[in-house]
Amino acid sequence: MQCHDPNEKPVNQKAEIFANGFWHNNTIFAQLLGMCPLLGVTTSAENGFWMGAATLLALICSNLTVSLIRGAIPANVRIPAYITIIAAFVSMIEMSMNAWMHEMYLILGLFIPLIVVNCAILGRAEAFASKNTPINSLVDALAMGLGFTFALVLLGGVRELLGQGEVFGFDIFGADYPDVLMFILPPGAFIALGFILAGVNIINRNMEARKDKQAAMLANMQTKDVNTVEIQS
Amino acid sequence: MKIDREQWHMIIALLVVGVVCTLLLATTNIFTKAPIAQAERQALMDALMQVLPEHHNDPISDTRDITIDSDKKPTRFYFSRNEDNTINTIAWQVTAPDGYNGSIHILMAVHPDGSINAIRVTDHKETPGLGDGITKNHPWLDSFDNKSLNNARWAVKKDGGDFDQFTGATITPRAVVKAVKKGLEMFTKIKSKLLKKTQQQTEAQHAMP
Repeated sequence: MQCHDPNEKPVNQKAEIFANGFWHNNTIFAQLLGMCPLLGVTTSAENGFWMGAATLLALICSNLTVSLIRGAIPANVRIPAYITIIAAFVSMIEMSMNAWMHEMYLILGLFIPLIVVNCAILGRAEAFASKNTPINSLVDALAMGLGFTFALVLLGGVRELLGQGEVFGFDIFGADYPDVLMFILPPGAFIALGFILAGVNIINRNMEARKDKQAAMLANMQTKDVNTVEIQS
Repeated sequence: MKIDREQWHMIIALLVVGVVCTLLLATTNIFTKAPIAQAERQALMDALMQVLPEHHNDPISDTRDITIDSDKKPTRFYFSRNEDNTINTIAWQVTAPDGYNGSIHILMAVHPDGSINAIRVTDHKETPGLGDGITKNHPWLDSFDNKSLNNARWAVKKDGGDFDQFTGATITPRAVVKAVKKGLEMFTKIKSKLLKKTQQQTEAQHAMP
């Protein structure tokens, strides 16, 4: 059998880091981190997207920097050093948004400076970037950030669709749709998130089942091979 | 107490991180200062265009600064004029210090008789989806139009007034209503001074060839 088993031998380390960050270890779906911006700003898909983009940028900058200086920071003071770095990048992003994306800056308001305390960012700096090469840290930041953005846009889209009948400002359900205010309000965020998490769990279970099936088939074929050999001999 | 090598390492590492981050922030500040001012000016201009009626002058440059509270910065009044140069509306910014999340900045435009032409919120940090109705809820914003101190009860409905609160957010509209009311009261006090001097100023400007 020349067939590769993806579980045993990673085809590509970077692809694995990416898949892990985007899906298997997704900030929202798997780790349930960063709930504050997730529930706070996702009243529309657009807000979710820009919040995710700002977080993605902060994550890339902090992961890359932390990875580059990982040898130079003594373990005892690494947390204050990381927080200072993250806070500096987030402030730079905040100032830039204020300057060049003034309207979105006004909408996201307080949640932009709050990226500093998004534990997902410090978490990646501590758990990944401080132990890995800059390139791998960059891939990890990209995957984690895109996964986070994906979750925010998904939740924002669902809430906007149910709450206002629109997605990204485009009318979906028509003018007669009775807006369900609850989905725009905070309880709607929790309820929608619950259903999304349930959906993610179903997908994961199906993926697992398929993998088990493949493994079983593979094992079956191997035994057959052995049987054939035995018969021939 | 003696600082050993390891401790020096920590001190220097944190110091370097701090200094580099500060330099980065200072640089960003230098580069974003002008665009931020420009963006704010643009936002003010857009907001002014929304609150002012048709006018035949440039309200951004037709202004007067008056100190109302001696320990605060002077308030800038923007004038909107008819074709015959009479003032039809005066706009200025008020601040509601008691929003749900910090101050709310409101641009209000008032006719010389003390009735409101329109109001708009220019800056706030209220909760998205709840308190930020003060920027998005146009029927609510329009409910201020033509109201004056004499023809409205200046409170939200929950407090026995004429203005709606939002579902899940009372504090935000309450702060806005209060700030606009205070703005109107202030206007009544300084009205004669504001209008008289401005008319004179205009006459003086016209007298000049």
